[in-house]
Amino acid sequence: MKIGVYICHCGSNIADHVDIEKVRETIGQQKDVFLVKDVMFACSDSSQKEMVEDIQSQGLDAIVVASCSPKLHLPTFREVARRAGLNPYKYIQVNIREQCSWAHSNDHKGATDKAIKLIEAGIEKAKRSEALEPIKIDAINAVAVVGAGIAGLRAAIELADMGTDVYLIEREYFIGGRITQWDELFTTNQTGREIITKLYHQLISYKNITLFTGAEIVETSGSVGNMEIKVRIKPRYVKPDCVFDMDKFEKAIEVCPVEVEDEFNFGLTKRKAIYKNYPGEFPEVPAIDHDHCTRCGECLKVCEGIDLEQKEEFINLNVGAILLATGFDPYEPKEGEYGYGQVPNVITLQQFKRLIELCPDELVYAGRKIHNIAYIYCVGSRQQNGPNRYCSRYCCTAAMHTALLVKQKYGDIRNFHFTRGIRTYGKQEHIYHEALEQGDVVFQSFNDPLCEVGEHNGTAVVKINDFLTRGKPMELEADLVVLITGMVPRKNNTIAQLLKVPVGRDHFFNEVHLKLRPVETVIDGVFISGASQGPKNIMESVNSALAAASKANNLVKKGFISIEPTIAFVDADKCQWCDKCAQVCPFDAFEQVDYNGKQVARVITSLCKGCGMCLPVCPEDALQLHNYTDRQIEAMIEDLAKAK
Amino acid sequence: MIIKNTQVAMDTMFVNEIERYGAKNFKACFDCGTCTAVCNLSEPGHSFPRYFVRLARTGARDEILKSRELWLCYACGDCSENCPRNADPAELIAALRRYTIASYEPTGLTKLIFKNNPVYILLTLVLAVILAMLLLSFRPESDVSRWLFQYVDYQIIHYGGILLALLLILSVIYGFVRSVKNYASGGKAKFWDTLKETTKEVGIFKRYLKCDTYDDSYWNGKPWYIKPWFLHLTIFWGFVLLFVATGLDYLFKDPNIEVWWPTRILGTIGGLSLIYGSSLIMGYRVTKPTKIYLRTKMADWIFLIFIWLTGFTGLWLEIAIFAHNHTMLTHFIFLVHIICAAEMFLLFSFSKFAHTLYRPIALFNYYKTKL
Repeated sequence: MKIGVYICHCGSNIADHVDIEKVRETIGQQKDVFLVKDVMFACSDSSQKEMVEDIQSQGLDAIVVASCSPKLHLPTFREVARRAGLNPYKYIQVNIREQCSWAHSNDHKGATDKAIKLIEAGIEKAKRSEALEPIKIDAINAVAVVGAGIAGLRAAIELADMGTDVYLIEREYFIGGRITQWDELFTTNQTGREIITKLYHQLISYKNITLFTGAEIVETSGSVGNMEIKVRIKPRYVKPDCVFDMDKFEKAIEVCPVEVEDEFNFGLTKRKAIYKNYPGEFPEVPAIDHDHCTRCGECLKVCEGIDLEQKEEFINLNVGAILLATGFDPYEPKEGEYGYGQVPNVITLQQFKRLIELCPDELVYAGRKIHNIAYIYCVGSRQQNGPNRYCSRYCCTAAMHTALLVKQKYGDIRNFHFTRGIRTYGKQEHIYHEALEQGDVVFQSFNDPLCEVGEHNGTAVVKINDFLTRGKPMELEADLVVLITGMVPRKNNTIAQLLKVPVGRDHFFNEVHLKLRPVETVIDGVFISGASQGPKNIMESVNSALAAASKANNLVKKGFISIEPTIAFVDADKCQWCDKCAQVCPFDAFEQVDYNGKQVARVITSLCKGCGMCLPVCPEDALQLHNYTDRQIEAMIEDLAKAK
Repeated sequence: MIIKNTQVAMDTMFVNEIERYGAKNFKACFDCGTCTAVCNLSEPGHSFPRYFVRLARTGARDEILKSRELWLCYACGDCSENCPRNADPAELIAALRRYTIASYEPTGLTKLIFKNNPVYILLTLVLAVILAMLLLSFRPESDVSRWLFQYVDYQIIHYGGILLALLLILSVIYGFVRSVKNYASGGKAKFWDTLKETTKEVGIFKRYLKCDTYDDSYWNGKPWYIKPWFLHLTIFWGFVLLFVATGLDYLFKDPNIEVWWPTRILGTIGGLSLIYGSSLIMGYRVTKPTKIYLRTKMADWIFLIFIWLTGFTGLWLEIAIFAHNHTMLTHFIFLVHIICAAEMFLLFSFSKFAHTLYRPIALFNYYKTKL
């Protein structure tokens, strides 16, 4: 067997603390080592070229590069092997930088000895390495996008544009999500609805997008490339082919006897069981709320487009990947938190946004004309003692923007901001500046709670020890107290449980790597975007939606997916199917199969990640991991433990 | 009034009011505190200028009127030079001082003239005419007086003048009492020690030397005799010397004495010193070498012009007397000299001049807590 060994100086990173000359000489005496070279930078173009030439001209069977961490350059040298016609898995990387020279910079001799040992062990591993080929699995060029808010819509359109079939699944009867609830938005002054209207018209122009409303995924199976999802579709109780007459619909609303809290207005108003949140909402036809409708039939008498006989439907869809854009819920303050629910005229920012829209001429809440508004920031965010330690990012800007808006709309308004410090980052700083210019007063405190909300003669009174005015206690009689509540994960998050999407400490969906893989999850084929991943403003949501769309498309468009062959495999002769491996596997990658009349475990190749969790629990030693086989590991240990 | 508390009463309309006193941009402040950090006079317990931005923003009128810190500042402009938002805190302090002077005066006249330049100019001119009439009334035999008394009774002018002087004295007393009350610090230092320290500070402005000391400061490295600190000193001592000289002259009842008499030498030195300081400062207000001179207000100009005119006309008379020049022009200059000096003192508590009363009182109470 011919093995080539390359020892990297890494400039001075390794060479300063390891005697490269001595290492080279020692390794050169090893059996099976056909060639040893030391190189200044193994990763440089010239070194890579040299390796390719060596492999080809000398006919090397395997190569070992002793350099940095495999996290940095494993793919680089695998690619070198591939270019030279050597199987990439016949390449072994030995880490003599992070784990040797950097760690023992004060012990020249020790570092040198350790480097020699590590390389010898690497050679032992290389001798026993197997040639592996990447595993290819079929992929369906279709993606299920869950949630038709701004992120979901934007992702769906992008995917469809790149030639992927899209199933857009929305739980509500109408699309648009949260942003249809906000009126004017920063910085364009477009309303959320205008944006959604634009996107909807774009959406329906694509033949390869199928939209489901009132729909929810209830079951999933399969794995990346071919996932089967079962979708439950609630009846809309409106005949699908009818041309809906809006006058008759208005009448139907009138006669409907059911009144429920209007979630669209965050409980500020009531709505009927037959409803539409706003006139231009999409899809254009209204819906009858399946959960609240009593099927009394009153509406049938005035509107023939209604069909109360419709039933729930279930359909199965096959997709290559799933893109989650399920959004957020606004934080719901606890009873008594800053007077919420106890002191009159204390509402949340989200309610306030709706209130502004519901009050066209003058701002009135609970019969009171509003002049002085207190905004209390960081409610439910940056909690010093609560679970939500994170900053919700969007709220400072949203609050300042809203404060400016009310002043503009109603004129005689005075704004008072009670903050822990304003975070209107980036371009949004202009808003802060503008609010200050307009005479808004900003108080700051680092106490928890940052201020107290009490009541005096039926009026809310906010007390703060303002840090910026030398902690002087101040009191404001506010006509309205607006709690600037941040974002929390969706209360109803069954989809996450179905797909086993990991969540972080903040309970939002977790990405694989915050910086390098921000829209992927550890579940292959499941992508996350928008505020489902953490608090984001609209631009950031769309950014992540576009990223997730391109990642999803990239995964499924070729029709197949290549996955790492370094996965577990079962020696069926030894296996007795005790179930232990299946229990520890975090990816559900084991299935029970029949083998020569006995039950054994089998690894589902598309699910296994090669993590190795199953190996130590197998009582029969029937499990192995490709390229980390017992033979290899034992030989390495033996070599390392051998006395000199 | 919106925010109220037993401790701090506030008013958001104040922001608009203080703008009219000259603070144009302080609302741009985002409370970073750079101004307070760079200010060499700010200290724990007496920190500024950010504190004033807060007080102005929240309209804490009472707190502003009780702030000794307003008078601890010498307006060097280090804060405005370093402000990341161009909020010009030094300008705000100047405006708040104008507001304080206006509030420590019972008639409301100062509030009117500080906010309204044409009225301010008109007032000084009208007052000049009245003073001229009054002065002429002492010489009823002159042509102008005879012409004048056809229209106005001598008694009216005479007693009117006395009444005016009385009212002005009352306003000074009012300002004095209010500032003494407002700036009381409850400090424990001994009266005489405090008085000594205050007198020292008023005499040489030692704290002013801490200002403008940064490496990139415009005044750092400039000769001492053109620095604002020295110019302020020359004007102050010019005033004091002239005051003493005038007082001695009054006591000896004979102003027509030789140039070499001590009181005259005192007056000459004082006058020259006054002209030197006020000329250079007016020059700075025109050439604007640093940010602090960018927005000079009418109140600043009028005070400076009066100082300069008084000094200049005084010197002219000095030379004229020396040269035995008794022309009509000299008589006119004499009239201008008297009018300027009189107006300055008559408008004492209605002008920037009032700082010479309020600053020492604030300083006194500051030292009471420090010593």
